[in-house]
Amino acid sequence: MHDPSKKMPGETAFAVVLVGLSGFLLWQAILISGFEALSSPGAFPMAAAFAMLVTSVAILIKTLRLRERMALRFFTDVAPPVILAMFAMMLGYALLLKPLGFLPTSLLFLTVSIFALRRRGLLWSFGVSLASLALVYVIFRLVFTVLMPSGIVPEGEILAWLGDLFSGGDAQ
Amino acid sequence: MKTLFTGALAALAITTAPALAEYPEKEIQGIIQWGAGGSTDTVMRAVTPHAEEVLGGKVVMQNMTGGVGAIAVKFASAQDADGYTLLMGAENPLLYKVMGLGDIDYSSFVPVNVLARGVPILVANNDAPFDTLEEMVAYVQENPNEVKFGSTGPGGLPSVITAMLQSQIELPVTAVPYDGDGPALTALQGGAIDVMPAVLGASIEAIKAGRIKPLAIIDVEANEALPDVAPITEAYPGFETYLPWGPFFGVFVKEGTPDEVVAKLTEAYAAGVENADFQQLMNDRGFEVMNISGDEAQEFLDKWQSVTSWLVYDAGIAKASPEEFDIPRPE
Amino acid sequence: MTEALQFFLISWLDLKLLGLVALGTFAGIYVGAIPGLSVTMAVSILISFTFAWDVYPALCLMVGIYMGGVYGGSRTAILLNIPGAPSAIATALDGYPLAQKGQAGEAIGLSTVMSFVGGFIGIGVLAVAAPFVSEFALTFQPRDYMLLAILGILLVGSLSGESLLKGVFAGALGLLIGAVGLDPLTAEERFTFGMVELWGGISFIAVMIGLFGVSEALTQLHYIDKAAVKQTIGRIVPSWRAVGKYLPLSMQTSSIGVIIGALPGTGGDIAALMAYDHAKRITRHPEVPFGEGAQEGLVAPETANNAAVGGAFIPMLTLGIPGDAVTAIIIGAMFIHGLNPGPMLMIEQPQMFWFITGALVLANIFMLIFGLTGIRLFTKIVEMPRAVLIPLILLLSIVGAYAVNNSITDVYWMLLFGAFGYLLKTYGYQVGPVILGVILSRLIDENWRRAIISEQEDLGRLFLSILTSPLSLVLFGAVVFIFISQTPLWTGLRARFGTARARGDGV
Repeated sequence: MHDPSKKMPGETAFAVVLVGLSGFLLWQAILISGFEALSSPGAFPMAAAFAMLVTSVAILIKTLRLRERMALRFFTDVAPPVILAMFAMMLGYALLLKPLGFLPTSLLFLTVSIFALRRRGLLWSFGVSLASLALVYVIFRLVFTVLMPSGIVPEGEILAWLGDLFSGGDAQ
Repeated sequence: MKTLFTGALAALAITTAPALAEYPEKEIQGIIQWGAGGSTDTVMRAVTPHAEEVLGGKVVMQNMTGGVGAIAVKFASAQDADGYTLLMGAENPLLYKVMGLGDIDYSSFVPVNVLARGVPILVANNDAPFDTLEEMVAYVQENPNEVKFGSTGPGGLPSVITAMLQSQIELPVTAVPYDGDGPALTALQGGAIDVMPAVLGASIEAIKAGRIKPLAIIDVEANEALPDVAPITEAYPGFETYLPWGPFFGVFVKEGTPDEVVAKLTEAYAAGVENADFQQLMNDRGFEVMNISGDEAQEFLDKWQSVTSWLVYDAGIAKASPEEFDIPRPE
Repeated sequence: MTEALQFFLISWLDLKLLGLVALGTFAGIYVGAIPGLSVTMAVSILISFTFAWDVYPALCLMVGIYMGGVYGGSRTAILLNIPGAPSAIATALDGYPLAQKGQAGEAIGLSTVMSFVGGFIGIGVLAVAAPFVSEFALTFQPRDYMLLAILGILLVGSLSGESLLKGVFAGALGLLIGAVGLDPLTAEERFTFGMVELWGGISFIAVMIGLFGVSEALTQLHYIDKAAVKQTIGRIVPSWRAVGKYLPLSMQTSSIGVIIGALPGTGGDIAALMAYDHAKRITRHPEVPFGEGAQEGLVAPETANNAAVGGAFIPMLTLGIPGDAVTAIIIGAMFIHGLNPGPMLMIEQPQMFWFITGALVLANIFMLIFGLTGIRLFTKIVEMPRAVLIPLILLLSIVGAYAVNNSITDVYWMLLFGAFGYLLKTYGYQVGPVILGVILSRLIDENWRRAIISEQEDLGRLFLSILTSPLSLVLFGAVVFIFISQTPLWTGLRARFGTARARGDGV
């Protein structure tokens, strides 16, 4: 996809950002403990950040020298709407996860994204989402006891109730 | 689907009901401050199943590591004070304030049980040119900074023991930091460091096998597990003021948790510690079982904090004075 | 001897134990394949789960999960370019291109057989030379770990793709990411900007899932309407000839795996990457270039990471010192079950050593069986419509990142690195060196500091120590050699020397 002899849209800007990032991190690394000793906590981060700065500057110079541009546009080829939208959905998911809870958020996320990408019936998308979510839930929550945020669904109580139901059944 | 729904309704009804007598009505979350496989992890996973039997509920244990355990403490203190989040930790949080690691320590929690205490011991590489504590002191003074002491960072057990030693003996050593006592004891066997202040439990198997040699037990009396090793006070009685001292393991809940819940947890963990299998495990590992709770536990924690905070502060490895946090100097 | 054999066969002859090893291995393959579920996690859950059991069945389950899990990571690496576990990162480099060509079945078949071979060599060394190897591993000093890690970071040369400059940048960035958080040695804050959430550092798994999983899913969105690659399932089990052909290579890469696995503090992830680099170095004329689906690029990491399993048990069973994170937890489990793993274990309870060795062999065999069956079903994953597959990958990425430490912060990091990784890929940077940097960061940083502190901050003394220790000297030589061989100076020299000799031959 990437051709080193031609410039991609946004490549120069990205190289500039990396130089800025490297400079900032080097500054932060120097702040950790200065140049007090070879064994100081800041010595290694400084070395790494310095390597980043040197290479990012060299990359920027190389990029600036590239004359030929690819016949591509940033918002159609590098970050088309579908990618931006999908990323926004993930961000929304992460934000809603705590307040709304794992189960409703995931169901919403899966249904909407599958429906939008596949364009084949809301019910079908919902069904596929429900089935896959059930699988994920069983593996992560039940088998591996990963406590996902429960949010508005009183998951712990439901599970305890189900557990009682089954253990009660066993006892009889 | 319908049963699930009624289940949800029933569950809702339970949560809104005022009676807390039925605690625990759902899974309890146990936050272990240290990584899987470490001694805190092992102890907590060994005692909790026994406690569960009395509790009549399930405790799901999770490791939440990082920041010398500060992240787990902060997480646990941010949860509701309903008894559904237990903090399973070691001694470190009591030093957070003076070490500059935040202002949340066990004072924001109620001790459910302080399970056991570890006994520190000074061990050395087999090739080290000394066999006793006195010989080591003499050698170190003749060769300043040549002897390498293992360390686990400021505030860790080795740093406290080294500070303790240096408070009474001139001891110019080079402290080489490791991630934990496990890696440091490995380095000790390989000769990367010469001496390691460690907890008895972590080093006992290697001592028994003759792979490393004990110099002194940092306690007022010899230990059952290694009766031949002399306590430090035999040669240096001056250390009695600090001892007994050692790392410990404890289970905590957030301050403000309803008394009935604390009582139920206390009962459960006290029974768990009493269990013969657990006692056996702790004995084998050279830990002193404590099994204290309530005021007794609080008193122990306060004393520990006071002794250790001032020790590290006087040694110059603390970032802030204990005075700032109203931690009294021990008498 | 007969006694040893008797202990060795305990798990083979008891139907229940046999079943548990099989179950563990089977579960392990899936644990390994799902990013965010790790063997470490699975084994620590098993401690509570098997609490009331006897020690044999508990260990059977753990050993199976461990063996299967290390192998399982290759599944998703090959099929989706998302390594299920850190030890499968190198597998993705050539495995995924093979799947893109419709040869996923063949790639999985080869990696399965080679994992088996590697696993077997690792166990073999464990059984025959454990005391010797563990003594050797103990002789590694901080300076040797430092040199080993530097050797590791030089792999950037093989991972950087089109531009070495970009590779070095990515590697350095990874080293820096690994340094974020409270410094483990001094508890000093590094790049935390006053946020307690950053004290624990940035979760390595979250970075990995973001850089590989999310960035790959985003890239795939470009082709959302294209049909998925049709997989031709021809030969799954590689021919004897193919296995024979790769045998010399797999012996070498397995040796790398055993040693790296036996060293406390390094594990299968580093072993696999080093083995990959080794394969790339010694394979003069691969049928397909590395990075485009070279079979050698699949053989090397898969033999090495499974050989590292046997390796990790070596210091654990002989000295009670864990070879990696998983064996550390198994040690904890043994304590809880009333055993005292340590140097005395071999003397007081020799049956444990042979029992575990036997269970490992069994797990290795089950891994081969389960690995080779059901491949058809697995390859169907790649043939799923992208519109369904991509949202699922994204969901799993979020859940996986959350599961590592139950932290929503990790999810944000994962997303950030997902977007960043996508941009990196778009502009011709490789994500491999970033991960390499993160893996090696602490190893270099801590051991450099230990080494220089041990020499009282004196660089001259450090060099003297390196030059006077045979082990350090060998490692130092390797570092110098690999470094020079990657610089343009050397390639120039070799080109001239090479043409001169060619001309000489002509005369």
